[in-house]
Amino acid sequence: MRRALPFLLRRLVLLVPLLFVVALGTFVLLRLGGQDPSAMLAGPTATADEIARLRAQYGLDRPLPVQFLIWLGRVLNGDLGHSWISNRPVLAELVDRAPASLELLVLGVLIGALVGVPVGLISALRRGRGFDHAARLISLLGFSVPTYFLGLALLLIFFYVLEWAPPGMGRLSLMLDPPPRVTGSFLLDALFAGRWETAQSAAAQLVLPVASIAILCAAPIIAQTRAIALSVLSSPPIAYAEAQGLPPRTIARIALRNAATPVVTFIGAELVGLVGSGSLIEYVFAWGGTGQFGLDAIVKGDFAVVQGYVLLLAVFSVVVFLAVDLLVLVLEPRAGRA
Amino acid sequence: MSHAATLPAPRRFVLPHRLRAWTRRSPLAAAGVLLLAAFALLAVLAPLIMPYDPVAADAAAVLQAPSQAHWFGTDANGMDVFSRVIFGTLYAFAIALPAVALAILVGVPVGLVTGYLGGWTDEVLMRFFDALRVFPSIILALAVVSAAGASVVNVVLVLGLLDAPVFARLVRSEVLALRSGSLVECAVATGNPVWRILLVHLMPNTLQGTLAQAAVRASWAVRLSTTFAFLGLGIQPPTPEWGAMIRQGAEYMVTGQWWIGVFPGIALILLSLALNMTGDGLADLLDPRRRSAG
Repeated sequence: MRRALPFLLRRLVLLVPLLFVVALGTFVLLRLGGQDPSAMLAGPTATADEIARLRAQYGLDRPLPVQFLIWLGRVLNGDLGHSWISNRPVLAELVDRAPASLELLVLGVLIGALVGVPVGLISALRRGRGFDHAARLISLLGFSVPTYFLGLALLLIFFYVLEWAPPGMGRLSLMLDPPPRVTGSFLLDALFAGRWETAQSAAAQLVLPVASIAILCAAPIIAQTRAIALSVLSSPPIAYAEAQGLPPRTIARIALRNAATPVVTFIGAELVGLVGSGSLIEYVFAWGGTGQFGLDAIVKGDFAVVQGYVLLLAVFSVVVFLAVDLLVLVLEPRAGRA
Repeated sequence: MSHAATLPAPRRFVLPHRLRAWTRRSPLAAAGVLLLAAFALLAVLAPLIMPYDPVAADAAAVLQAPSQAHWFGTDANGMDVFSRVIFGTLYAFAIALPAVALAILVGVPVGLVTGYLGGWTDEVLMRFFDALRVFPSIILALAVVSAAGASVVNVVLVLGLLDAPVFARLVRSEVLALRSGSLVECAVATGNPVWRILLVHLMPNTLQGTLAQAAVRASWAVRLSTTFAFLGLGIQPPTPEWGAMIRQGAEYMVTGQWWIGVFPGIALILLSLALNMTGDGLADLLDPRRRSAG
């Protein structure tokens, strides 16, 4: 672990230009329409006074580079502006809702990976046989279902037709009050508070959206794990192990060890894309997390929120990539030396 | 020339034979292409196949379940869902095809030039593409379209430009692999100008990979383009576009009229699947190492 600190420091330094480009991109987002950005930020209900105030506040009459620096300064101070719909600070709105989104995402990815990785491995070991073909077809199907329709289809089947699942209307049955906020996850908070009925309802509400995300995330994981495992199985270390006549269990262990790094890297990259799909799933299930809030803002043109949301997602991705790098450092003795 | 006689005679290219060989090697690609052809036919022949006008409201036949008269039922305006699903194929192709064409038109030259010339432009561009990766593509596409105005043209532009890096990276990596090889060495030695090496010697070698990727990206573009309408951005409900139809269908699921949203959804999955199968199968056919992989 002695290598971790300098590695981490180097990565953090490299992040500065990346975050700068990300901020610039987010800033440019508002300029694409060619409309007055202060009017877009203030929203359609704003009075001329409010627009003028915003223009002065953000220096929107100054040259573009100056505007960017003013905006960047505010962002660094945690000021992402106000939502014109709720009239609250954007950052508070986004962060308040984050636990709900993370709850979905973490559970979904965990289940997707727990199913996807073994299926991909078995596929590679039994390549060309029935299991492999079935797994490939299923993962292709998973690739081909549009995110939002997957959510709707699960709702249709398991709520409307079979009546097994609760309606897709938020995180808790309408009859129950949310538990006192500790983590922001209704399930965990209800368990902490010892309110079993609430916990049960929160868990039931989680099933379908989490299943949607797990399906969306398992499809590429199956395909990728299979490809990685196949290339590892035909690599020199495995050929060497086989030539030595090592038992299959040992060979499998060496193969797994070698496949771990690319699989972890891939799942990290997947996670970034899944935040987008997760937002759509939240939208379909009226989940009320950061994702749904961000999508609503996009649809309604609440541009201060859109900007903040896109920026927050980018920062989240950067954190995920950093975590993946650290994990790789743990898994792979060779990494971090260069 | 005695040793020349021992070489096997080059096999003549006979299309039906080739097709049969390809089908045997990748049944997946064959099925995908077949399904894709069916959709293309549906789009071209839409006016002949549609039993009703897709936007003709019929107040006497509102929210009817699937029947002999209306195979896929009717929607809240009394419009025939079957006709609308068929017409929706046109929208799917009309957005996805130009978007992918734009991505290729931008991405392939960028990949060729940066891969061959390298240097700081290559470095800056690749870092820029890396930076783009931290934004989830769905959200970036939605946010940009919403900021720029949700017209069909903007949707095509945004999807195409967002997808161009995929092709640029692909072509760049193939060019990098070829650049140090004897092909380029010979081309340079015989005095070919750079543009000729790029277009005549390198580009044809990257076409196959581009083609396989194009099908997969078209599938992505089809799914994403319907997402705009599903969220209510751009194309609005009475238009027979799949995403807009599913949006209307979602509202009526509560009251049991499942057919409004389910049929366009199935059509969407099938088209997306056809494109993915085609792309996946093509990649299989083109990559000798993957051939036996199944």
